[in-house]
Amino acid sequence: MSGVYLYALLGAPPTCEAGVGVCAERLRAVVVGGVVALVGDVAEVPAPSAVTLRAQDGVLRRLATVVDAVLPVRFGTLMADDAALSAALAPRTADLARALGRVSGCEQMTLRVWGEVTAAAPALPLEGGPGTRYLAGRRAAHERGRRVPELEPARRRLGDLVREERAERHDRPPLLATVQHLVPRGSSARYIDAIDTARDGLRPWRVSVTGPWPAYAFAEEAA
Amino acid sequence: MRRPARPAAREILQAGDDSLVDLVDNLLNRGVMISGELVLGLAGVDLIYLRLQAMLCAADRVTRRPEP
Repeated sequence: MSGVYLYALLGAPPTCEAGVGVCAERLRAVVVGGVVALVGDVAEVPAPSAVTLRAQDGVLRRLATVVDAVLPVRFGTLMADDAALSAALAPRTADLARALGRVSGCEQMTLRVWGEVTAAAPALPLEGGPGTRYLAGRRAAHERGRRVPELEPARRRLGDLVREERAERHDRPPLLATVQHLVPRGSSARYIDAIDTARDGLRPWRVSVTGPWPAYAFAEEAA
Repeated sequence: MRRPARPAAREILQAGDDSLVDLVDNLLNRGVMISGELVLGLAGVDLIYLRLQAMLCAADRVTRRPEP
């Protein structure tokens, strides 16, 4: 099925030729309200493979060198035509513009936290009736899903380098959690230095770092 | 329940490349979702079990969506 393949939403049109996409198609910009969609006209959705995933990531990285605000779109997003794209984006341009503002000038670093045991959960309050205690337990479990206390020593080292954080607990040893940090572009070396400096204080947990990446994990809430 | 990985997934699993696993996680599991007229190119692709010392599972989100 041919259509308009969507790569990214941008805060402004690229200042130079956007180059080609995953299918070697010429990339072009479609403006919807204050949001610019970078698209390519393709015969079909590219099949996911190491080659096509790297190619799409390459398009996004190239964009990040010429545009301040880049929101990656999920792989495999094909619209019928420009009109369908505009219709899908138009109702949410305000949310998308806010999301573009958040990621402007930033990139993503990804941390994975490894270990055999998780940090101890805070004790639950003993007061209240069984219903209160049940709800307190549910709330604590919900909050714990987004918290990674194992990383506290690293957070102190990172300081104000981190603009935003997204965390997802796996709790399947040895993989305990994945954390994404939004950091200013060009600060990945400082970020890695800060993590390396924190490693001793993180024990018994270990961390691995990848990045910089386009701000994939900070685009979700714009949908 | 584990299912055998299909060729695209197997290629990625066998790469033994941490950054490739992150790439899969970023591109298939994150990013802006434009729903409605969305056509997914992922139908039938069993990118379920991505092994990076442990299973990193994007399957719940991939398989939840309707096939085109």
